[in-house]
Amino acid sequence: MPVPAPPTGRRGKNKRLRDRMNPRLFAWVLAIPATLFVALGLGLPVLSTFATTIGEAAGPLQPYIAFFTSGFRRTVLWRTMEVSLITTAISVVVGFATAWVVARAPGRIKSLLIIAAVFPLLTSVVVRSFAWMVILGKNGIVNTALLGLGFIGEPLSMLYTEGAVIVAMVYLFVPLMILTLVGVLEGIPRDLTDAATSLGATPAAAFRQVVLPMAVPGLIVGAVLVFTGSFTSYATPQLLGGERQMMMGTFLYQRAMVTFDWVGASTIAAVMTIVTLATVLVMSRLARKLNPVTG
Amino acid sequence: MTVSLTLQNVSAHYGPTKVLDDLSLHVGEGELVSLLGASGCGKTTTLRLVAGFLQPTSGTIRLGDRDLTRLPAHARNIGLVFQTYALFPHLSVLDNVAFGLKQRGMGTAQRRAKAKEMLERVGLAQFAERYPANLSGGQRQRVALARALVIEPPLLMFDEPLSNLDAKLRVDMRVEIRRLQRANGTTALYVTHDQEEAFSISDRVAIMNAGRIEQLDSPEVLYSRPANAFVADFVGFENMIPMRAIAEAGDGVRAEMAGGATLDLYRSDFTVPGRDFIFAARPEGLTVAREGKGISARISLRTYLGRAYQYRCNTPAGEIVANGPLSDPLEPGTDVVLVPNPAQCCLLKAESR
Repeated sequence: MPVPAPPTGRRGKNKRLRDRMNPRLFAWVLAIPATLFVALGLGLPVLSTFATTIGEAAGPLQPYIAFFTSGFRRTVLWRTMEVSLITTAISVVVGFATAWVVARAPGRIKSLLIIAAVFPLLTSVVVRSFAWMVILGKNGIVNTALLGLGFIGEPLSMLYTEGAVIVAMVYLFVPLMILTLVGVLEGIPRDLTDAATSLGATPAAAFRQVVLPMAVPGLIVGAVLVFTGSFTSYATPQLLGGERQMMMGTFLYQRAMVTFDWVGASTIAAVMTIVTLATVLVMSRLARKLNPVTG
Repeated sequence: MTVSLTLQNVSAHYGPTKVLDDLSLHVGEGELVSLLGASGCGKTTTLRLVAGFLQPTSGTIRLGDRDLTRLPAHARNIGLVFQTYALFPHLSVLDNVAFGLKQRGMGTAQRRAKAKEMLERVGLAQFAERYPANLSGGQRQRVALARALVIEPPLLMFDEPLSNLDAKLRVDMRVEIRRLQRANGTTALYVTHDQEEAFSISDRVAIMNAGRIEQLDSPEVLYSRPANAFVADFVGFENMIPMRAIAEAGDGVRAEMAGGATLDLYRSDFTVPGRDFIFAARPEGLTVAREGKGISARISLRTYLGRAYQYRCNTPAGEIVANGPLSDPLEPGTDVVLVPNPAQCCLLKAESR
């Protein structure tokens, strides 16, 4: 008895959208909800921000000229850059060392270490920043300890300094760096470092010539995450830097919510967007240069 | 420069587990010795100890007159070829091969020239600027070989180098490895679980089991005169029949097996009357015949091998696997005699496992 052919879909009464469309077009259809969401939730606001800086001002580039000719605004931009770069640099060093230990740890210990690294991410940024106020404050743990041990005669003022902001930001962002790097370092087979060693490479040389270049993609991703996170942060500079150590995020808030200077606030937002975008581009260019295969 | 490798009473542990048990091994100048065994027998551990990736808990490792035991891995000057090839994915083929020369402080131009020369020897000169990801498995293995050879090490070590290649390439590559090793006169230690590979490539083979060497001999000796039941089983003596010598019989000895059947055998040192021993035979070591002098049996199953028929036979001493000629196919149920063919049989001490 002949086996009936499977229904082709075209002959069926209740045709489905999937059956009627060619598969490539259908893939695009599937992407519509997410695309709409991003377009409405991200694209439009960004466009309207840029439109505000151009449309509502005296001249097309006037707000930007005003921004870059103001000494105060340049100081805020420069401070934000500086704090973010230092935070990124420290996170790279600290994160790499930690990730190396985690990646080479045996299974059970590795899971515990990863949980320990992720744990801080489970609490709010505000809480974690506030913790540093308690640690670094006039009557904080550090000052109490130093006073008690007799190293200092009167409490140090550590709050509302660039250093305080950097310390807290490293604490905030280093888990991201660790997680990114653990993934990459785990992907470097032990045979490769063994091979390098057998060919006469000292541990330092094997690290520099094999591990480091292979970790570049992870380093770049981690650095982009930390840098953009630091550059756009609000709660940490607000709590630990205050008015004295104004950064782009806190400055933007002040312009928009305190002085209601919408053009000024939009300009700050636009500058932040451009700087972040430029950083990502420079970093990925750097990655390709450092590691021609994986970058 | 050719030197010998000597391991003396080496033991190693992974945590509390003993993985090498008082192992001694000597590889002569220019000799290729294989470590052969199932996974977990300690062969890779031995190689990692010599490479310096592991530290022995006791014993010494010497290469020529150098004591390697406490020397860091990077100072040992040993060429190593890995099962996974372990090529550096971020470096070109040429830079991979030149890597070891760079560590030795050789200038860029000189090391590139030398690496290029070595690539020519393995037939990969035209791939010098490619990255490992763009090479086939065989080509990668050749690059790994070139990278290990270019530093002109006094000792070459191979860790299952051919396991990831297909059958045809495996044979080609092992011939090539042997050719290069012979041409350079380099002493070599070769780890594999493949008996054919080990026997075809080696001067001597060490058959390993549970962290010990069961027997270290030339392939010919291992194949025809295994020292104990483990080695005999490993090299294909499928039938192990316990026997007892009961009397002298002409030039040989008369032996009795379970069930009371007797068999006349050529003499071996320990088959004096009264002594227990094991009669080991390959399937081709027992010929299935309709009549003759041998072990009485009844056929239970026949399979076709191409070069012969193979029969599973029931005997009072248990099931025996034996071969029979293609000219005379026998049906299951037939009563037959299994006639020993001395060249494919051997006698083992009963006290060995």
